Amino acid sequence: MIRALLFLFLAWQTSSPEALQHMQAGAEAEKNGRFEAAIVEFRKATEVEPTLAAGFVSLGQAYLENHDYGGAIAPLKQALKLSPDLRPAHQLLGYALLARGYAAEAIPHLEKVEDSAALGIAQLEAGQLPDAVANLQAALAKRPDDPDLLYYFGRASGLLSKQSIDRLIAAHPDSARAHQAMAENYYVLRQMPQAEKEFQGAIRLRPDLPKIHLELGLVYAGGSQWPKAEEAFRAETKLQPGNAEAAYRLGNALLQQGKVREARAELTRADKLQPEMPETLYSLGKAASLEGDAASAEKAWKKVIELEKESSLAAQAHFALAGLRRKQGKSEEAEREMEEFKKLQNTPSPEVPRQ
Amino acid sequence: MLKTAITVLLASAVAPLVLEVKHPAGLDFTLQNSPTSQKYLIETMPGGVALLDYNNDGLLDIFLVNGGRVTNPMQTPESFDRSNPVYWNRLYRQNKDGSFTDVTKEAGLANVGDGNYGMGVAVGDYDNDGYSDIYVTNYGKNVLYHNNGDGTFTDVTAKAGVAAGGWSVSAGFFDYDNDGKLDLFVTRYMEWDTKHSKTCGGEWHTYCPPEEFPATTSILYHNLGYGTFEDVSQRSGIATKKGRALGVAFADYDGDGFTDVFVANDGMQQFLFRNNGNGTFTERGLEAGAALSEDGRRLSGMGVVFQDYDNDGRPDIMVTELPREIYGVYRNEGKGLFSYRSLEAGLGMLSSGSSGWGVGLEDFDNDGWKDLFVAQGHVLDNVEQIDPSLHYQELPLLAMNHRGRFERTDPGTGSPVAGRGAAFGDLNNDGWQDVVMTVLGGSPQVFVNPGGKQHWLVVKLRGTRSNRDGLGACVRVNGQTRFATTAGSYLSASDKRLHFGLGSADTAGIEIAWPSGVRQTLNDVHADQFLEVIEPEKP
Repeated sequence: MIRALLFLFLAWQTSSPEALQHMQAGAEAEKNGRFEAAIVEFRKATEVEPTLAAGFVSLGQAYLENHDYGGAIAPLKQALKLSPDLRPAHQLLGYALLARGYAAEAIPHLEKVEDSAALGIAQLEAGQLPDAVANLQAALAKRPDDPDLLYYFGRASGLLSKQSIDRLIAAHPDSARAHQAMAENYYVLRQMPQAEKEFQGAIRLRPDLPKIHLELGLVYAGGSQWPKAEEAFRAETKLQPGNAEAAYRLGNALLQQGKVREARAELTRADKLQPEMPETLYSLGKAASLEGDAASAEKAWKKVIELEKESSLAAQAHFALAGLRRKQGKSEEAEREMEEFKKLQNTPSPEVPRQ
Repeated sequence: MLKTAITVLLASAVAPLVLEVKHPAGLDFTLQNSPTSQKYLIETMPGGVALLDYNNDGLLDIFLVNGGRVTNPMQTPESFDRSNPVYWNRLYRQNKDGSFTDVTKEAGLANVGDGNYGMGVAVGDYDNDGYSDIYVTNYGKNVLYHNNGDGTFTDVTAKAGVAAGGWSVSAGFFDYDNDGKLDLFVTRYMEWDTKHSKTCGGEWHTYCPPEEFPATTSILYHNLGYGTFEDVSQRSGIATKKGRALGVAFADYDGDGFTDVFVANDGMQQFLFRNNGNGTFTERGLEAGAALSEDGRRLSGMGVVFQDYDNDGRPDIMVTELPREIYGVYRNEGKGLFSYRSLEAGLGMLSSGSSGWGVGLEDFDNDGWKDLFVAQGHVLDNVEQIDPSLHYQELPLLAMNHRGRFERTDPGTGSPVAGRGAAFGDLNNDGWQDVVMTVLGGSPQVFVNPGGKQHWLVVKLRGTRSNRDGLGACVRVNGQTRFATTAGSYLSASDKRLHFGLGSADTAGIEIAWPSGVRQTLNDVHADQFLEVIEPEKP
């Protein structure tokens, strides 16, 4: 595309047949992937006709294609000196500068040509995070599955988020939100004692913050401290009675402590708040089974299998059903469920690795 | 009035200590596991303890298995310097005043061989001469010591043919064919040696999980009599299953009169070998519902106990494991089926952050319900760096049984240690069960039960048609059941006598189903006594 535009431009710009000859030879070499030969020809064209902006653009492009980004910068700058509004020169110079790490210098050139993808990357590198996020999002709207764009957008969003959190922590270090933010960082790093301390700090300041008790509960649950986890999840369900995850987590914490009746009530509530959640249904089946309600357990586990098909949770449901069938004396059905379980047994499970 | 009220309040607020750690004079053992930066797996796995009355003076003695010296790195051929007294296994004879005397050398147990790194111990009277014999498992060759009855032992391994080899862990004596002679089951962990060792955990540089090494088979030795055994692992079907076995326990789970075998495997499914009654076994863990967790997950099975925790007369299974798993409670439902009851039994709260090894179900408060004791401590000596919520050194778990639900109580110590083996018995013959727990790199902890007011009965079996110690008998006392065994726990052997708490009952009814098939009933037996019951010669 750039090459076609250049030749249109060239057709009315050059007056020298010799320059035109070198330009054509350079274009031919470039087309065949002989970039060094192309560079030689384009350089001769610019020597024959030093005012030929298109020649400098072609020379710069050949350098770029030869991955010599530093070599491309001077001819492209010369092209812009000769013709300041030459869009291909701005675009290529923007790429070359970006590739050489001069992101801030690249930005005005990329802005000229409204290349949102490259501009977003340059802004990310230059630390202009809000603009980078906006431009990369715009670029992704056009190329939603581009892996590079997805990477840079993720990075820019993450850094922007971090920047905001850093600012929060710097400006309001003793605020509940700062404690919460630090706790979440520790949680991600699996530094649970520190996470617990920060969550508790946040709760002391603002016990009514939504989700914070849930997050603290997850810290306790991760360490199998079930009574504490129960307390935290219970606090969250009081604050947010409509939060299905809090109800599920509370139900599970109760189940781990063998408080089966309470667990079942909470898991039933979670199921009503957000139906067809496989994890809730699986635990609900366990609670029902422990209470001796085989029919409800069977119903819940069958639903898990229907929803999950071949996941590790489906394997667990098959295993649980096999146990149920054995107790019922239905050995053939138990065997069938075990076969299904064995087929799925090696499905990767999200459980914590062995330590 | 006020004073009385305060006294009552105080009494109800402070729970009585069930066990107290004591330091008996003369018990000067240190378990030398010799950790190195090579992270050889053997370093974190020992060691066993046995409670036995080797000289039949009525007092329990203590045998402790030592590790060995591990060089960094190990050279070939491997030598663990076991001729050095620091690395000897030790036998401590109990004196009448409760102190102990090291009798290792005079008993002939001093040197187990330089090529061996010690692991566990099994105890049984394999030749029915009335004296308990000792079998020591090792990484290397195992050793069978015959008790000569005069305070000395003789290494009879070669004649008996029970050296095994590889990496043996827990072992136990039982009579699988009810011929009156004790057979021997030896678990083996994996195919591993110091030459093929490696480290795991990347930057954490730590011990590898068992999945990194090939599984192997356990061994069943059939007692042929005359001091010889035959390896029947293949013929019996035991060797058809490869595992990563660490623990073994015996009981007749299906009531067919033949003793079955439960093998605790690490990082894989557990094995339940059903005794077919014809010299063969069929592995039925999955079919019986005792192989995996409730969610169908593999378990890091380490120690195991096979006794009746809910007083329904059927032996249940408890398996100790690593953190994030819950110690497995498999309740025997009858008809050859088990159901996973860890959560109902309260183990979710008690165990999911801990690593369990030696384990016992013993009625520590003599209330008629078997309580739970677990030796604890993580496998990895640097686990806190990886996950600060886990601990290499832990307190043991003591949980009292309240009609099938366990609740934690003070274990009698506030000092966390790397607990491993645990053996159970009444050290001071006061009718209250005590515990000896081994500690990696440290001295064993002796938990003495201060006792209380409840009644008790201790039954000592003397087989005539059955094996001399009646191992494998099912004994029912006032609605409680115990299966006679010295095996179970981890690497360890417990007192062969059967202890029963009687609560407020001052008499007991006893029913014994002997391995020979003989049934015996005793009524109106006085409480608070050690009762020897001799198997009737005729049914």
